[in-house]
Amino acid sequence: MLCHRLLARHPTRLFSTALSVSIATMSTTAAPPLKKMPSALTFDRHAKCSTTKARACTLHLPHGSVPLPIFMPVATQASLKGLTYDQLRETGCMLCLNNTYHLGLKPGQAVLDAVGGAHKLQGWDRNLLTDSGGFQMVSLLQLATVTEEGVRFLSPHDGTPMLLTPEHSISLQNSIGSDIIMQLDDVIATTSPDHARIKEATDRSIRWLDRCIAEHKYPERQNLFCIIQGGLDLELRKQCCEEMVARDTPGIAIGGLSGGEAKEEFCKVVDTCTEILPEHKPRYVMGVGYPEDIVVAVALGADMFDCVWPTRTARFGDAIVSSGTLKLSHKSYADDFSPVEEGCQCVCCRPTDQGGLGLTRAYMHHITAKETVGAHLLTIHNVHYMLTLMGKIRQAIIDDQYPAFLRKFFSDIYGGDRSKFPAWAVGALRGVGVDLLADS
Amino acid sequence: MTTSAMDQSSSSPAMSFTVLASTAPVLAPRVGKLAIAGRKTIATPHHVPLTSRGTVPHVAHDVMRQHTEINSLYAGLEDFIARKQPPVYNTPAADHESPLKKFICVPEDMPLILGPRRFPPIPCPPANTSSSIALLTSTGFTQLDAHDYVQAVQKLRPDIAVGMVDLANKQPGSKRRARMVDRTHAWNRDALEQLYGPSVAEEKKAKSAYFAPILPLDNAQQSLYLDDLESEFRWDISGLALYQSASLGFVPESLADLPRLLFSEPETPHTILRDISLGADLLTTPLLGVSSDAGIAMDFVFPVPDVLQDGSAKPRPLGTDMWKSDHAVDTSSLGEGCTCYACKNYHRAYVHHLLVAKEMTAWAILQIHNFHVMDAFFAGVRESIQRGTFEQDVRMFNCVYTSAMPESTGEGPRLRGYQLPANGPNQPRRMPKAYGLLDGAAQKFAASQSEVATPDAGADELEEQGFAEKA
Repeated sequence: MLCHRLLARHPTRLFSTALSVSIATMSTTAAPPLKKMPSALTFDRHAKCSTTKARACTLHLPHGSVPLPIFMPVATQASLKGLTYDQLRETGCMLCLNNTYHLGLKPGQAVLDAVGGAHKLQGWDRNLLTDSGGFQMVSLLQLATVTEEGVRFLSPHDGTPMLLTPEHSISLQNSIGSDIIMQLDDVIATTSPDHARIKEATDRSIRWLDRCIAEHKYPERQNLFCIIQGGLDLELRKQCCEEMVARDTPGIAIGGLSGGEAKEEFCKVVDTCTEILPEHKPRYVMGVGYPEDIVVAVALGADMFDCVWPTRTARFGDAIVSSGTLKLSHKSYADDFSPVEEGCQCVCCRPTDQGGLGLTRAYMHHITAKETVGAHLLTIHNVHYMLTLMGKIRQAIIDDQYPAFLRKFFSDIYGGDRSKFPAWAVGALRGVGVDLLADS
Repeated sequence: MTTSAMDQSSSSPAMSFTVLASTAPVLAPRVGKLAIAGRKTIATPHHVPLTSRGTVPHVAHDVMRQHTEINSLYAGLEDFIARKQPPVYNTPAADHESPLKKFICVPEDMPLILGPRRFPPIPCPPANTSSSIALLTSTGFTQLDAHDYVQAVQKLRPDIAVGMVDLANKQPGSKRRARMVDRTHAWNRDALEQLYGPSVAEEKKAKSAYFAPILPLDNAQQSLYLDDLESEFRWDISGLALYQSASLGFVPESLADLPRLLFSEPETPHTILRDISLGADLLTTPLLGVSSDAGIAMDFVFPVPDVLQDGSAKPRPLGTDMWKSDHAVDTSSLGEGCTCYACKNYHRAYVHHLLVAKEMTAWAILQIHNFHVMDAFFAGVRESIQRGTFEQDVRMFNCVYTSAMPESTGEGPRLRGYQLPANGPNQPRRMPKAYGLLDGAAQKFAASQSEVATPDAGADELEEQGFAEKA
């Protein structure tokens, strides 16, 4: 049925005269004067770091305001791994992710329509962001093939061939009702050596963006974000940025990263894109979630991040703390009766006399990977840690102390040993005027 | 009848059990109050929430405090002694605190019952010996020495300690029965001696109340032991632990004022009611957790509300299987009119989705709901006994509700080794095989076959597949 709908489409081939020659020669069909996209968000900029490109902003979305920069935990299948939504609320989370691909399979579009969207399904009254499902097609499915019409794959349930088109993805996200929806993009590994394929994917993502914009039914209550592609080719990234910025989506994502590329390359791509992207729109770097990557990406001008790592690693018994991660399943924690992190204000670490649970490393060691409760509790801690980190980043930017914050952050992780600071971070931050190795 | 079980001579003045309403000393339902100084009071009859490694399964500590009424816990020592030097013994705690409660991070006012084994215990193939019992830690089978258990009680200071008991895995023969009695007798005599005996200095005496086990045997077979419980041990024991409902009938009248903790696995609320009518005060109800794991939201009320007492209707199910696809778009609460946290915030469609998606939150939500149903059930039981209408109410309950819990149609959470019985001969696989040497190759072969254009494909299909064209 989807194919049928696709075949019925006759996209008008028009080259926008406003575009420069180099862009026009890209094989994109710039959409006809796009329907003017209303925005369901407002974006307030409060402060900008005087040294780096870091910004402190507030994103006002239909289900509440989100302080930026922000980390968004990933509730893949409409639940954050064992937590009730009150537990998630208590970590301070204002915006979390769902996955279109997973919700499209279970519970399916019909159920989402009948229930009235994902907010109602999961009892979450704050903001949701859904990714388009493109990434899962590539990461989860061996036999996915991408054609111009969409992504063909075999159903993981019964092996029947399925097709995910930009139209279908947007229609699903319209049913989900998330506050931020993502375009379907042609995702390929940044490490792919096939440059022609990367270029094709970039151009196709732009064409798909037009189809997504055309299909989007509720622009007045759901914000469609475009996704910049282009692999590690900075020229391609620039072209993609310009093309997509011209489409004037309410927000902009930088996609295709965190696929195993070198961190230097990752930083260059983010740096290049933020140079071009408009100041007055939120910038979301997809799939990035290690604290070190986030603090650097913020300095490079990014605002939003998501990653399954903090919640996934929690299920393996790893706690994120300011000195790195603690592998609590290691026997060295069996007799350690201190909190997971001293001074942490999450409900797990806070002592009982301050209304917390007063959990100890020894007990987490005792239950981690053995009881589901262990996963619940560490998930709370890790999400809280990430959100607190983002709060500290924001405050440092507002106080115009971000370079000092960066130096302290890396010093805490590497025990003050500057020789251990990762070269990619030192290099990337030097590019925005921060010398990590200098005395603060 | 109102009796205070504990007089001044008791070695455990911290605990008292008061019977508030009862028609007969034994073999009759009764309402009581189990009070331990500085702890939440337990109104009996009550169910005892069972823990696994110190947690109520799927119920995180903050959820337990905020959204459940859990007011006592049972823990098995075997969950904590896998290592040679168990960390639980090193927990820093003040003299008045229980290191075990500190270790599992529950508040000091939570009444905690400690027994040697978790409940329900996994049967252990190794045999018990005259000085130890076999048990299963997360690392394998081991023996717990009776003396070590007493030391554990002294160190961990639970509110209530259940004495060690020699139970047989299968129906014991006459020799085994005699051994069970002898061993249990000796272990408990020694334990009481070491905990409260005259040789123990006054300030060293254990603060934990001690529940003496009654073996799941006939009266006559353990008469020597029961005699000693009635005389020699009488003032050192604060309660009785029973291992089968029938034992409720063997409680001597002179021990009638002691609280009775029944370790059994009732399969339905009907069985729970029968055990209560036989005089059980504290009951284990593994069916609660089993239902949650199976995706079943329990749905029964005691006494049966008037609206459901119309006799003509079909028997009502005791629960709802949330795996059923009828719930896929049902936004009503798990239990009709239920006021629990789960029902106020979530609905059937969500729980159904979570189960199908194998998300842990499903079990957390179901546990909250099922605990609420069970708490309300026991509250109803207590009121009914006090009103004196228990017998009629039970009869009505048996009429209105079906006799078995609904069967689950889905899978539960992944079970860990220490939650599963030991492998026996010819046991079916626990999990379907995830990997096989040839599976991958077979899959590839099947996939590659479908990619090849075959003569039975139509022209359109061939064209689409790019016939004779390099991919």
